[in-house]
Amino acid sequence: MAPSTMDRKRKAVTRDVTELSDVESEAEFGDGLLEGILSQSEDSENESDENEDSDEAEDEEDLDELEDLGSDEIPSEESEDDVEDQNGGLVKSNGKNSRLSDLVHRQAQTKEEKEDKPNYTVTTDANGGERYVYEEIDPVYDSDDSDAPVTTNTVGNIPLTFYDSYPHIGYDINGKKLMRPAKGEALDALLDSIDIPKGWTGLTDPATGKPLNLSQDELEILKRIQTNEMPEEGYDPYPATVEYFTGIEEIMPLSAAPEPKRRFLPSKHEAKRIMKIVRAIREGRILPYKPPEEREDEEEEVHYDIWQDEQPRPDHVMNIPAPKAPPPGYDLSYNPPPEYLPSKSEKQAWDNTDPEDREKEYLPTTHDSLRKVPAYDKFIKERFERSLDLYLAPRVRKNRLNIDPASLLPKLPKPEELKPFPTVCSTLFRGHEGRVRSLAIDPLGVWLASGGDDGTVRVWELLTGRQLWSANIGDEEAVNVVRWRPGRDAVILSAAAGEDIYLLVPPVVDPETETASRDLLDAGFGYATNATQALTANGQKKEPVAKWTRPGFRLEDEGVLIKITVRTTVKVISWHRRGDFFSTVSPTAQKSAVAIHTLSKHLTQIPFRRLPGIPQTVQFHPSRPLFFVATQRTIRSYDLQKQELVKIIQPGARWISSFDIHPGGDNLIVGSYDRRLLWHDLDLSTRPYKTMRFHSKAIRAVKYHKGGFPLFADASDDGSLQIFHGKVVSDMMENATIVPVKVLKGHKVKSALGVMDIDWHPREPWCVSAGADGTCRLWM
Amino acid sequence: MADSGAQSSRYGPVQVHFITNSPDIELPEGKRQLLVPTNVRRYGLSQILNSESMLDTPAPIPFDFLINGTFLRTTLEEYLTTNGLSSETTLNLQYVRSLIPPLFEASFEHDDWVSCVDILSGSSRAGTWDGNEVAAGQERILSGSYDGLLRVWNKSGQTIATSTASSAGGHTVSIKSAKFISPTQIASSSLDRTIRVWKYNEAEDHFSGDLKPVLELYGHKGGIESIDVHGPSNRILSASTDGSIGLWTTLKNSAPAADSTFLTSGPTAKRRKLTTSTSTPQRGPLSMLSSHTAPVTAAIFNPLDSTVAYSASQDHTIRTFDLTTSTLVDTRTTSHPLLSLTALPGISTQLLAAGTSARHITLLDSRISAQSTQVMTLRGHTNKIVSICHDPKSNYGLVSGSHDGTCRVWDLRSSRTGTKDEGNGLVGEAVYVVERDSQKGGKRPVGGEGIKVFGVAWDKDVGIVSGGEDKMVQVNRGRGVTRPDNP
Repeated sequence: MAPSTMDRKRKAVTRDVTELSDVESEAEFGDGLLEGILSQSEDSENESDENEDSDEAEDEEDLDELEDLGSDEIPSEESEDDVEDQNGGLVKSNGKNSRLSDLVHRQAQTKEEKEDKPNYTVTTDANGGERYVYEEIDPVYDSDDSDAPVTTNTVGNIPLTFYDSYPHIGYDINGKKLMRPAKGEALDALLDSIDIPKGWTGLTDPATGKPLNLSQDELEILKRIQTNEMPEEGYDPYPATVEYFTGIEEIMPLSAAPEPKRRFLPSKHEAKRIMKIVRAIREGRILPYKPPEEREDEEEEVHYDIWQDEQPRPDHVMNIPAPKAPPPGYDLSYNPPPEYLPSKSEKQAWDNTDPEDREKEYLPTTHDSLRKVPAYDKFIKERFERSLDLYLAPRVRKNRLNIDPASLLPKLPKPEELKPFPTVCSTLFRGHEGRVRSLAIDPLGVWLASGGDDGTVRVWELLTGRQLWSANIGDEEAVNVVRWRPGRDAVILSAAAGEDIYLLVPPVVDPETETASRDLLDAGFGYATNATQALTANGQKKEPVAKWTRPGFRLEDEGVLIKITVRTTVKVISWHRRGDFFSTVSPTAQKSAVAIHTLSKHLTQIPFRRLPGIPQTVQFHPSRPLFFVATQRTIRSYDLQKQELVKIIQPGARWISSFDIHPGGDNLIVGSYDRRLLWHDLDLSTRPYKTMRFHSKAIRAVKYHKGGFPLFADASDDGSLQIFHGKVVSDMMENATIVPVKVLKGHKVKSALGVMDIDWHPREPWCVSAGADGTCRLWM
Repeated sequence: MADSGAQSSRYGPVQVHFITNSPDIELPEGKRQLLVPTNVRRYGLSQILNSESMLDTPAPIPFDFLINGTFLRTTLEEYLTTNGLSSETTLNLQYVRSLIPPLFEASFEHDDWVSCVDILSGSSRAGTWDGNEVAAGQERILSGSYDGLLRVWNKSGQTIATSTASSAGGHTVSIKSAKFISPTQIASSSLDRTIRVWKYNEAEDHFSGDLKPVLELYGHKGGIESIDVHGPSNRILSASTDGSIGLWTTLKNSAPAADSTFLTSGPTAKRRKLTTSTSTPQRGPLSMLSSHTAPVTAAIFNPLDSTVAYSASQDHTIRTFDLTTSTLVDTRTTSHPLLSLTALPGISTQLLAAGTSARHITLLDSRISAQSTQVMTLRGHTNKIVSICHDPKSNYGLVSGSHDGTCRVWDLRSSRTGTKDEGNGLVGEAVYVVERDSQKGGKRPVGGEGIKVFGVAWDKDVGIVSGGEDKMVQVNRGRGVTRPDNP
């Protein structure tokens, strides 16, 4: 700002004034506010005065004066500024912008000053009305005296066009001519004329309104025109004529002379030449035709569609139009000949193909008469499509999936290839009254033991279905579970009814084995007393968790040798593979739910003082000292030697009903009451490897085949068994293949219970099932 | 119309040559060649043979016709087209007496399931050995039952003798197998692990008799499923669920003493034994052959050579033993547990038919190389086949009893090539199906419940005798002239 102000001394004063006013306004900020309010009210008064006293001439004059002052002041200033700008612009162009902004600023401020400070005093005039007496304007010496009333023209209210033909525009108050002021354009012209640019004419282009400048060429042309020459340079007005046609007109172009004789006679020369060729052909010097060249078939011939963008053209010999489309054939007729009508298979094939794949868009149809031809059926659709095309509506083209649905199915071997597996019911075991709750095939594969609601344990001949032996052990209670002791050295059957676990030796075996079995059972009686003593020795009078006793003579006669009484109902018996330990589960017991019994010592132990949930079933690992306990949701495996928890398996089922361990020991199947059958790979994850939901009701029992066949089965309340092929490979990288192979139906559903238990034959792919309908079935 | 005309023109005559093996029905030399229309079936050919110009039989004999060893079951035309033969060839038609459908004759009621049957007649093995004479009309049927009793019946269904109860030296539990050794001697085996030899005496009027235990044979640790006897050498062969095969003798003096461990029966049995009067001599086995790994279900003597025994077991094997040295000679492994066994000596000395738990009969010939032991399978049963007996009249006939409640009669010449599912090879189909009379007309129950057949025997004089779960011994026999089966 500073240098620019220094340059323009003329503006310095006004600048100072504005600065002062700025200071004032800043100092009296509060006053300013008040003033603002007041000034507004005064302004409005002024306006109203104007409206009221419009008739008063004096006022009008004053106002006119005021108006003149205002109107003159601003344009003059502008014009001066313009001149100044132009002058300054020539000298200094860099300060232009800042000066302009200053100017606008200053003008606004001077206006404010005027409005703020009234430069008049109000007196009373001769009529007693208000009279504005303005202060005498005291022009500063070197001020721009633009306010001087030099411009007063006295011509009155006449159009200024009257003076157009004169150099003046009127007369001042002294009668002197007011000369026409120099206009901006004239000034510009003057300034432009100071150094005339090239091609300056001083004319105004009527088309653009800009000064008409002429280029050098145009000036040349003008010069030639002035000298009456051809305006175009190098134009030859009289070139030498070239005669394309003769100017001589022939009167008779054809000669009437008779044709010469030689025209009618065969030419000897030609005959000579022909004979020469003929002779050459005969002698074989010239071959009459070329043998067709062996063209390479591979050479691609490029064909062009010359009628690709054909426009209709008038008929002309050089224009070969595109061949016309064939006329409609018989098959387009409304009544085509019968050989054109499609057969049923053709119609079906046409229907089955997609519209875009069809060879023809229509099927020939026959109508007796033309009036029976229906309306074009695709009319609306085609109109709609056309509308969409016009609307540029993008449409999704349907992409057909060319996937064979069979390929999406997992590749499983056919069940026929996975034989043998049980397919039909071969034997029925009928005899139980009420439900059969549990069954088991003995380790030799000869007998079947079953126990049911009628409180009896029965032993059957497996193949014939003949009941060999029966003992009523339950009295009132149902037999919940029967299990054979593993091992071939003795034949011992364990059964649980109510709180009692019975160990039986069915009298179907030979005397030697029977004696061995009895000895095995009786061997622990000595230990039993020791065990109870040890328990009572620690001061507290502890009830033994189980009592091992003789069941009484009646049962002893039938072959029931030992009765173990625990506190609550036993639901599950699971034997250790060596046949010395077996574990029982009584889910309703709080602490003693899981008990491990030692046969040789008649000892019962409670391995878990506290269990996370209600135990459902237990299993010993087939080869390692692991013990699996299934609660309602999880299966925990414990190391019996280290006495620690090894793994928690979470099948994800809501209520586990049963589980079984693969004889290899690394896989597990779990059946649940929420209809799921889950396969676990113990090495892989605690989560199931495969979940199968094929049953419509709860799964009661699951069992692996333990005799070498890759089979497992489940039994469900919907009365069916399902047989699966589950092959476990020793290769760690390969997962087990599980194929459902057979659904075995036959058991009747009684009171929402179907098949209660299931067991496999120890050697053959045969399985047995215990049904709620009171039968056991052998499937082979 | 034109089609039928063409058909009739195709039924042009074909030259056949009738041959037979039976001299009594042989045609005279000049009549053997004949032109017959090709649209005739077995019945038509049989009528032609029975006509006056040919055999001129007083009563028509139903014939079956064999071409190249298989039965003609279609028209000649169809045979020619399926075998790609022209009608100008001469067909060699071998005619045999047709197998008469075994019709129901009688049922003998029991108190309990019938586990086994055997027949004594003039043509049965026991009736022919050692010049034993059984008069016609004196045929006897022996049945063993699950109530532990043996019964001897005559053909009209009267019980001639019943074995003594366990208190008087009888079996304590179910009898599983019983056989006539001679018209006066019977052997039986039981789930009580013993074989008992009985003396059978008939009164003069042949309407009453008695069975007295002669010998108790101890040695098996499991129930004895099946026995076979050989009268001339007084040998008994037994198959037990303990996996062993026992060879015994019926002669009291030559039998070794029984092992005391088997005699001192278990604590429960001892209690019962207290009440019995054990006067029967107890003996042990001549030899015990324990090579099977699973229960043995059948053991038989080779019908031509009593020193050779075959056994079938649930361990899928058929083993051949040399009884003189008590050694295992041969083991043939099949793919299924075997439940019954019989020999077919008429075709080959070592052809065996074994019933499996997989519902079919496997025919094995141990002379054929070990790779292809299976000669033929007979399919049709729907349950375990637990009993097999060969046809006494024909070398190619068999009858089998199964837990599906039927006996099926097979002819090995009636065969076809099996499908891939059946394991290729030759597959035979049953000629006749003998239903249980107790279940006549009804739907066969699941698992053969109540109608299982446990034992079947076939005799020339008596017919097919079978016993089963319906507590009946049922006698079936072909009688008279049959109606055409394929008119």
